[in-house]
Amino acid sequence: MTCASITLARRERQAVLLSVAAVAVALLLGALLVAAIGVPLPDAIAAFADGAWGSPYAIAASINRSLVFALIGLGFVLANRANLTNVGGEGQIAIGGVAATAVCLIGGVARLPFGLAFIIPTLAACLAGGLWGGLVGWLKVRVGTNEVISSLMLSFIAVWLLYGSVQSEALLRQPMTTSSTLPESLEIPDPTKLPLLTGDAGMPLHVGLPLALLLAAAVALVLHRTVFGLRLRAVGLNPLAARRAGIAIAPSIVGVFFAAGALGGLAGAMMLQGEQYSLKAGFSSGYGFDGLVVGLLARGSVTGVLAGALLFGFMRSGGINMEMVAAVPSALVLVMQGVIIVTLAGAARWMDGPGGAR
Amino acid sequence: MLAVFAGSSLRLAVPLVLGATGELVSERAGVLNMSVEGMMLTGAFAGAVGSVASGSPMLGLLIGVVAVLPVALLQAFLSITLRANQVVTGIGINILVLGATTLAYREIFGGRSRTEVPGFDPWHPPGLADIPLFGDAVFTQVWLVYLALALVLIVAVVLRHTALGLALHAAGAEPKAVDQSGLSVTAVRYGAVLFAGMMSAIGGCFLSIGDIHTFTEGMTSGAGYLAIAAVIFGNWRVGRALLACLLFGTATALQFQLPALGIELPNALLIMLPYLMALLAVSGLVGRQTAPAHLNRPWSR
Repeated sequence: MTCASITLARRERQAVLLSVAAVAVALLLGALLVAAIGVPLPDAIAAFADGAWGSPYAIAASINRSLVFALIGLGFVLANRANLTNVGGEGQIAIGGVAATAVCLIGGVARLPFGLAFIIPTLAACLAGGLWGGLVGWLKVRVGTNEVISSLMLSFIAVWLLYGSVQSEALLRQPMTTSSTLPESLEIPDPTKLPLLTGDAGMPLHVGLPLALLLAAAVALVLHRTVFGLRLRAVGLNPLAARRAGIAIAPSIVGVFFAAGALGGLAGAMMLQGEQYSLKAGFSSGYGFDGLVVGLLARGSVTGVLAGALLFGFMRSGGINMEMVAAVPSALVLVMQGVIIVTLAGAARWMDGPGGAR
Repeated sequence: MLAVFAGSSLRLAVPLVLGATGELVSERAGVLNMSVEGMMLTGAFAGAVGSVASGSPMLGLLIGVVAVLPVALLQAFLSITLRANQVVTGIGINILVLGATTLAYREIFGGRSRTEVPGFDPWHPPGLADIPLFGDAVFTQVWLVYLALALVLIVAVVLRHTALGLALHAAGAEPKAVDQSGLSVTAVRYGAVLFAGMMSAIGGCFLSIGDIHTFTEGMTSGAGYLAIAAVIFGNWRVGRALLACLLFGTATALQFQLPALGIELPNALLIMLPYLMALLAVSGLVGRQTAPAHLNRPWSR
């Protein structure tokens, strides 16, 4: 083991310690706030635990949320390897959701054999998300548009596209039978829903779980063991040198944004086909931004993405239940999340050490 | 009818104008301050609370502007001193503020009440409001509207004609030159972020104690992001950013006006329009865009 890798290992350990400390501080703050609100702490904790992991259903719901954060986080890490910041997760989820809904509801799709009924809509969502993300890369290489700005604008556009598509009967809104018909799509047919792992609706873990884990492994492999990963790194560290070295920069940038977008689209498909089954306004519910934060806090590590995704997934679920059962506003979880983000973002430079990759 | 429409467009544009002008100064200095949304919300909340507590909207406004300072300092400390990723600190602060204000609001006012808070009354500017036909409908506004326009003018003059403006510009375009001239890039950027915070807070106060005289949870609902879009659409120029805000305000007013006129246009399209315009602008489809060269890049010697 070389000297450099020992320091690296120590830094890694410090980073993990710091992350744990930030979470602990946030939890402590949460407890103090609960006390300040005047809710007995044990009640609040019981409600939180119940909602996060208290039943098979709660566990599955938390994990399904985490899957979405993980996929967006993976996309972020991938693009970030080339020193690009993808803020487009929220929009890619929305576009994926729209595409998956549209394809699920096409007449013949539900009758396709061999599981194609759910695979085709999922692939459509990946493609749509990929194109939406790829657009960011394309703008970057063609006109030099700052990717932060374009992906952020595309996020808002996609969210409102989704809103518009469930408001109009000509698009995805279910047929209006009464004046109280909600502005949402029809429920997708059963064959297009993602198969459940347990076959039991009481624990709705779906095939998205193994798929996401597989993709996480694939991203780790691409980043550390492939030529494409090396190219991304070269482009990120010094685009000029990379070009001189004969690396085609433009395809790398467009490609990595396409991949990140496809992961986002897949996240949207999983939310729709694995959990919600009909498209509603506000579908993406800020998960894209949560996922972005997960990706950033992971500091390039795929394991970090998975850990962060689980943390945020369980926290969200627990917070929602705390509001319903113990009358603690779920805004509390927002405060805790904010504290974690701000602390770890602030400490990122220090954790990367002098001359860190970013 | 048209005059009322123009008046409400102006009214809806004002929070954006304030936020965008502050954001423009910050971006010119090189800090992509994504926490405008959180800063506006802080102002709206503290302004409302201060106004209720003191019974005076004027004191409320003051409290709103002061209350944003810790938030702005946090943003500045993270993104300038600690050189953290500016996008993420912004999103983090927005989440934090949304959570904190919602929590505090429920504690102070209870449940989901919509307590009326003392606010500013519309002002009839003599002369302007007396113009027949449209004067009253367009120009009778809360005085903050006129303050906003005056502030924009001041910022435009300072940026263009003073040494301070030059320093701000250089901090975002060529920070090294600022450093070598003996000025502190850090100080310039801190000042810019604090200014953005105060402008956003006034914009937030306009929402709560100027316009609707109450506070609702997350009441800025994306106005901060629209302000950022306006800066981009405005190509980082004060005049064009102001125009962009007025345009966005008009698009928002249209959402309420079109159904009344019996015109069926999807709401989503109108809400989306500002972001679409901003995207087209940065894509180089509407003239050449020139973002500050060191935007979103931390400075270190």
